[in-house]
Amino acid sequence: IHTNQPPTKPNLRAPTETKTLDPSRLLPAPGTSLSSLLSATAAAAAMSAGWRTLLLRIGDRCPEYGGTADHKEHIEICYNVLSREYEHSKDDIFEFLLQCAEQLPHKIPFFGVLIGLINLENEDFAKGIVDATQANLQDALHTENRDRIRILLRFLCGLMCSKVISPNSIIETYETLLSSAATILDEDAGNPSWQPRADFYVYCILASLPWGGSELFEQAPDELERVLVGIQSYISIRRHFDDIAFSVFETDEGNSPNKKDFMEDLWERMQLLSRNGWKVKSVPKPHLSFEAQLVVGKSHRFHPVSCPPPTFTMSSSEILKGQEKHEANLKYPQRLRRLHIFPTNKAENMQPVDRFVVEEYILDVLLFFNGCRKECAFYLVSLPVSFRYEYLMAETIFSQLLLLPNPPFRPIYYTLVIIDLCKALPAAFPSVVVAAVHALFDRISNMDTECRTRLILWFSHHLSNFQFIWPWQEWANVKGLPKWAPQRVFVQEVLEREIRLSYFEKIKQSIEDAAELEGLLPPKAGPNFRYHTDESKESTEGHRISKELVSMVRGRKTTRDIILWVEEQIVPANGTKFAVDVVSQTLLDIGSKSFTHLITVLERYGQIISKLCPDEEMQLLLMDEVSAYWKNSTQMTAIAIDRMMGYRLISNLAIVKWVFSPANVDQFHVSDRPWEILRNTVSKTYNRISDLRKEIQTLRKSIQVAKEASAKAIKELEEAKSILEIVEGQPVSSERPGRLRRLQGFADKAKEEEVTIEESLEAKQALLARGLEEGKELLRLLFKSFVDVLTERLPPVSADGDVPNLRAGDPNVTFPASDPEAATMEIDDENGADNNR
Amino acid sequence: MASLFKDPSKLSVYRDRRFPGTQEEFEAALLASLTVYVGNMSFYTTEEQAYELFSRAGEIKKIIMGLDKNTKTPCGFCFVLYYSREDAEDAVKYISGTMLDDRPIRVDFDWGFEEGRQWGRGRSGGQVRDEYRTDYDPGRGGYGKMVQKELEAQRELVDYGVGFQTNAPPQFDRADRKRGYGDRNDRGDYQRRRSAPDMARRATDSDSKRDANQEPVLTSSTFSFPPLHRHKTFIEYSMVSCTGKESQVSRER
Repeated sequence: IHTNQPPTKPNLRAPTETKTLDPSRLLPAPGTSLSSLLSATAAAAAMSAGWRTLLLRIGDRCPEYGGTADHKEHIEICYNVLSREYEHSKDDIFEFLLQCAEQLPHKIPFFGVLIGLINLENEDFAKGIVDATQANLQDALHTENRDRIRILLRFLCGLMCSKVISPNSIIETYETLLSSAATILDEDAGNPSWQPRADFYVYCILASLPWGGSELFEQAPDELERVLVGIQSYISIRRHFDDIAFSVFETDEGNSPNKKDFMEDLWERMQLLSRNGWKVKSVPKPHLSFEAQLVVGKSHRFHPVSCPPPTFTMSSSEILKGQEKHEANLKYPQRLRRLHIFPTNKAENMQPVDRFVVEEYILDVLLFFNGCRKECAFYLVSLPVSFRYEYLMAETIFSQLLLLPNPPFRPIYYTLVIIDLCKALPAAFPSVVVAAVHALFDRISNMDTECRTRLILWFSHHLSNFQFIWPWQEWANVKGLPKWAPQRVFVQEVLEREIRLSYFEKIKQSIEDAAELEGLLPPKAGPNFRYHTDESKESTEGHRISKELVSMVRGRKTTRDIILWVEEQIVPANGTKFAVDVVSQTLLDIGSKSFTHLITVLERYGQIISKLCPDEEMQLLLMDEVSAYWKNSTQMTAIAIDRMMGYRLISNLAIVKWVFSPANVDQFHVSDRPWEILRNTVSKTYNRISDLRKEIQTLRKSIQVAKEASAKAIKELEEAKSILEIVEGQPVSSERPGRLRRLQGFADKAKEEEVTIEESLEAKQALLARGLEEGKELLRLLFKSFVDVLTERLPPVSADGDVPNLRAGDPNVTFPASDPEAATMEIDDENGADNNR
Repeated sequence: MASLFKDPSKLSVYRDRRFPGTQEEFEAALLASLTVYVGNMSFYTTEEQAYELFSRAGEIKKIIMGLDKNTKTPCGFCFVLYYSREDAEDAVKYISGTMLDDRPIRVDFDWGFEEGRQWGRGRSGGQVRDEYRTDYDPGRGGYGKMVQKELEAQRELVDYGVGFQTNAPPQFDRADRKRGYGDRNDRGDYQRRRSAPDMARRATDSDSKRDANQEPVLTSSTFSFPPLHRHKTFIEYSMVSCTGKESQVSRER
């Protein structure tokens, strides 16, 4: 055996377990002169790395492969090691290969070739892979696992390129998906509400073509043509997807009916690809180097899969249909809404298909390497393509960060990715980020407000990781814009968030080159206590009461005593409103030192507030007090109101009413302050509901366990009881009384446990019902308030239903902030000489 | 998601020696915990700064600042409690290793806060790492406590202006030592055998590697008490008991 080792591999020792192995397997892939190709170092590194690492790292320029990036060499090295380990770890290799193909989908061409090479020696192994893939795809289709469906179709292409499955198998799978898609759109046989699923199936077919189109075209041109004709006719009958509500920029071509939706766009890219002879630069084709060997491999049959039948609804109610459409959209959301940030010569310096492929790579790395910082950044910067793509990468990441209604991951994930990319590509990426920020800033007046908020949060956080360095002087002119100008608000809110992450003086210093912007800094945070004792000021009744309350708190008087004092002495003499004023101001002051101080005070003395503010009217007053006390700190105002809602001192409805009160509506366009409070309220209400859902799910599981335990205990008890013996003509239990008592005890205890869980389940369900009701009420009030605010301000819709052109004569939109004259014309009186708020 | 590159059983390299249970129980507690530990914070970082950063991973239930046993002021760590496990996981995934107040902080799962854990465990009241640290870290009280004591002792011995420059950090050899900000793992395994004067000399400026803009600024009066590098004072926590029995009331949000 050992004599078969290529002589140029120095440290190669065949492990003992390979002794039983067929010698031919230790040879390089048939037909290659491996020894002459391998550099000694690469081989040596590979020997020590282990087959798992080699599979993971294949295609990467890394030490495991001696730093070389030659794809052919990688496959040969890896195949060689796999062969050596094959007999010993066949099953592990099998499982791991499948896992790698699904979780490192940008390396599918490599895994395809490896399986193709193994297929030459071990047909059963490859057949097993094919069958397992079929089962996985079948499962994914029925469990509606989108990513898996998409990636497995790509994997099929990889297997086909290496002759492991025949082109016809793929065509057959495509046709299954296509016919299922067509059925869904059929009014009678299907259910057009589920078009998102149909679109998704066709999308998956199209998305796999960059990996297999050229081979299909070579080997089964007529069948491929048939599939493409089928897709063409699907595209012609499907409904154009209009999603202007989800566009980041309001005046994007979004309104134009000619704008292509994501399906039409992908279809056009693939048509172009077919016209270009299926040439894709961005997909590695390692199988071409092994064509001579692979061609003799046995192709296995990929058994047909079935798609889940269309979901039917009997109802003809439009509302239910709408709900169903919504559900379908949630289940099959659009993966990417392309955001065009840069001039086309930057991000579009490649073929349309290559843009699509690189986007797929990026989105998959973000998906599978969430939580693995190092690998995520590594793979993002070393995609297997020969052209530069940092602009496209930035566009793709920003379009995820700003994806409406929600990004796939928390925005902070993209913050981290951008930070890591700036560190991984210090010469290239930071400047791209800067350019992106400038481009987005230029169009910010048309940006959706939710996106603007995400951008503010991202940007401030990003800068906090890079010493807050930014060329602010370039934006110094926003100080001259009206207070509501989106660019000005953006700068002001970024500064506000920077201060929250850092501290006032530091941020003030960071803008010293743009001193004009100092006027946009928030006031230095600090409390604003109405009853602050000051020698120079005369002491009022309020000061006196406040002082007394402080001494009661210091003296550790109980909450009950304080409530009595308030109810019997303060309210009768001064009225409730005054009592709310003094008590809330004083308690806020006692808890003003930190977040912990605040919650400690609210936990200890919250009841005093809740006694004073039992209804919405008083709660509105309470929020006025919070806002007045913390007028210099937006953060503390938001936190205090949020905590008060947490302790149910304020209802979510009261918060919405307060946010929509005239004083706050005036802030809507000049500050994020009311929005932050509103956002907190909505998410807190929603979080309550989703927490309860989770708890109920857990309780359901444990109730099952408890039921089983109880049944078992009772059965045991009954069995013990049923063993009888006849004593003096009477049936008497023959079991020892002690054991019976013990069993009875167990049974009782198990039953008790079951009842306890059942009770807490009921309680949680009642809470959930209440939570859902609260959520519904909240949304209703929220929408109504928006409608009211807008109808008060918008010109009415004409009698024949024409919506007025709101944009007409708005200079700030047609010339976004670039025309200072237009902007100054708009300066309203609140933006007078003094800009201090 | 990325199970291929990650060892899911390795949740935290740190093992709290005061955890009252077995390794398995410790790991189980970490897996279920809604609490994260935040380390390498500046003494000057406030709860509100932590709140701003950590609320980006989810709704925060509580923040407990780590306090110096003696001074009752922050000593560079804290616990953040979330309402949901996913949020705690996101905090560990996305915040660990990023900057807070210009310092790279570390975020780890914690087995759960208990009364008493808010206090520093070091001999001088703060964290143990600040006892033996030999670098100059203005965000964490300057030099480590032992170095500070040594420097003070020297100052008493040496005549000002003759053998010892009081307005510049002592000259140290740069070559040595990679140890740094780190970690709770450092606890106790520092080479205590090293004689104190030797240690003082070894106090390197390694800190500048990560805080280039925070060069030590020593004036004659601030040897052991570096100047506040910000216009802020410590918050005293003496009035609040972090988990006082009273605070066990309604936890509903």
